[in-house]
Amino acid sequence: MILSPEILTIYILNALFALLSAIAFYFSVRIFLYWNENSTSQLQYKLEKQSYLSATIIKYIFAIKVPLFLFFIFTLDDMSNIISGAMCAAGVVDATVYGSYLLVLKVLNLYLFAYWIVLHSKDIKFEVQPYIKQKFGLFIGLFFLLVVEIILEIMMFNAIDVTSIVDCCGVIYSSSSQSYLSMVLSLDYFILLGIFYGVFLFLTISYIFKLRYLFSILNLFFIIISLITLISFFGTYIYELPTHKCPFCFLQKDYNYIGYFLYTFLFIGTFNGLVIAFIEFNKQEIEKFYTLSFLFNFLYVGIVTYYPVIFYIKNGVFL
Amino acid sequence: MITFKNVTKTYEINTNNIIQAVENIDITFKEGEVILLKGASGSGKSSILSLIAALSKPTSGEVIVDSKKISKLSDNFASIYRRDNIGFIFQKYNLIPTLSVKDNILLPLVPLNLKADDVEIKLNTVMQKFSIFHKKDIIVKNLSGGEQQRVAIARSYINEPKIILADEPTANLDKKLSEKFIEIMKELKEMNKTIIIATHDPLFFGLEFIDREIEMSDGKIIV
Repeated sequence: MILSPEILTIYILNALFALLSAIAFYFSVRIFLYWNENSTSQLQYKLEKQSYLSATIIKYIFAIKVPLFLFFIFTLDDMSNIISGAMCAAGVVDATVYGSYLLVLKVLNLYLFAYWIVLHSKDIKFEVQPYIKQKFGLFIGLFFLLVVEIILEIMMFNAIDVTSIVDCCGVIYSSSSQSYLSMVLSLDYFILLGIFYGVFLFLTISYIFKLRYLFSILNLFFIIISLITLISFFGTYIYELPTHKCPFCFLQKDYNYIGYFLYTFLFIGTFNGLVIAFIEFNKQEIEKFYTLSFLFNFLYVGIVTYYPVIFYIKNGVFL
Repeated sequence: MITFKNVTKTYEINTNNIIQAVENIDITFKEGEVILLKGASGSGKSSILSLIAALSKPTSGEVIVDSKKISKLSDNFASIYRRDNIGFIFQKYNLIPTLSVKDNILLPLVPLNLKADDVEIKLNTVMQKFSIFHKKDIIVKNLSGGEQQRVAIARSYINEPKIILADEPTANLDKKLSEKFIEIMKELKEMNKTIIIATHDPLFFGLEFIDREIEMSDGKIIV
């Protein structure tokens, strides 16, 4: 078991999340079961007060979770210094069976919490809160995912054995590896890039013509293809090394922390694109989501494209 | 029109100490009426005002103002309702002591983001109306009790609210200033404002311009 200051910080915050979310969970269940907008009973007024408290707790958890996710990645990266074989966070994630699941769950929870926040901000714009049962019902599910995330995180940190030798990112994401991910990453660049820019092209068209559901679905595809091409192609230009395929190394200082910007832009862009399919917004609101989504996805595409272009201009060849 | 439907308000200090401020009240206040809420301290007068102003919510029951269920409003909407409909004169005035007369009176207009010219016109009209224009740049902590109260009235009036609530407005005033206050209330009545005054000051009892006197005791309406 490793207990560095970073891990201790994560544990303390997890304990706080567990406590606060348990309170919000209890109130959410009551609100979900007993909320009656037309009632003027003592119970209803109590539920209204409890809904403010629960919403405040959930907003607080989200506000901490966003920077904590980046801190988690930073911690994994930092831990690679003490784990034999690991060169970056990829080795630490791969050091236990829980790492990959935890990472996927953390990202999923971020999207779901962000969705909750948007649903809540939409809900409180009405005198009669039309989404109240929906949002607290969602939190009941989210609570369990959060608990699983916390348990997985504790299990992962406990399972890390600093004396065992782990694989580095070069091995994990190499084309010789037998994993499904490696098979996808070893696909022809032209196909992958064709899909990447193709999806972005259709995304642009659906943005121009405001094709709500298509725009949302394309954003889902865009997350997947962006991550694949980032590891298999664009990342190699950030590292300027054709064999270096890693989704974590570019988070380091050596690469000007560009990874944090890329992931943040991708998250904001795709989240705003996805959310429009699930909530009914008025024209002005939906326009804001379209614009934010397209702007951040465009920025993402711009930055990742910049690296191979600059490499070509400098060297006259591609990797 | 303000309607209370079976309204109860309790304050839970702790599990053993629950104060029943208002108990099963059913009452209606008509538009343009001047109502006097009488009763000893702790009889529930201030709680009634606070419920009308949506400063607090009932424990059960419903408060309806002009067909809007204000007891069901969320904090955001309650603030908007208060800004648009309510002028509140507090016993201790609740002015910001370090701001000038002018700045205190202007406070309710800040969220409205009005044009500077419109603000100036409103401000001057109100200050003249309540005879405080000559003190406009004075810091309020340097004013007398009566002057501070005129500032509080001016502040409650500047948004031209339909409902004016006054909580023990003459508690800190001498007889002469209290009579002046009553004169101002008469003027406001002529403008068809609904005025509800919570007081146990006998100076108000039996006045001609008051439409109804309601006596409260232990959270209930007696008369």
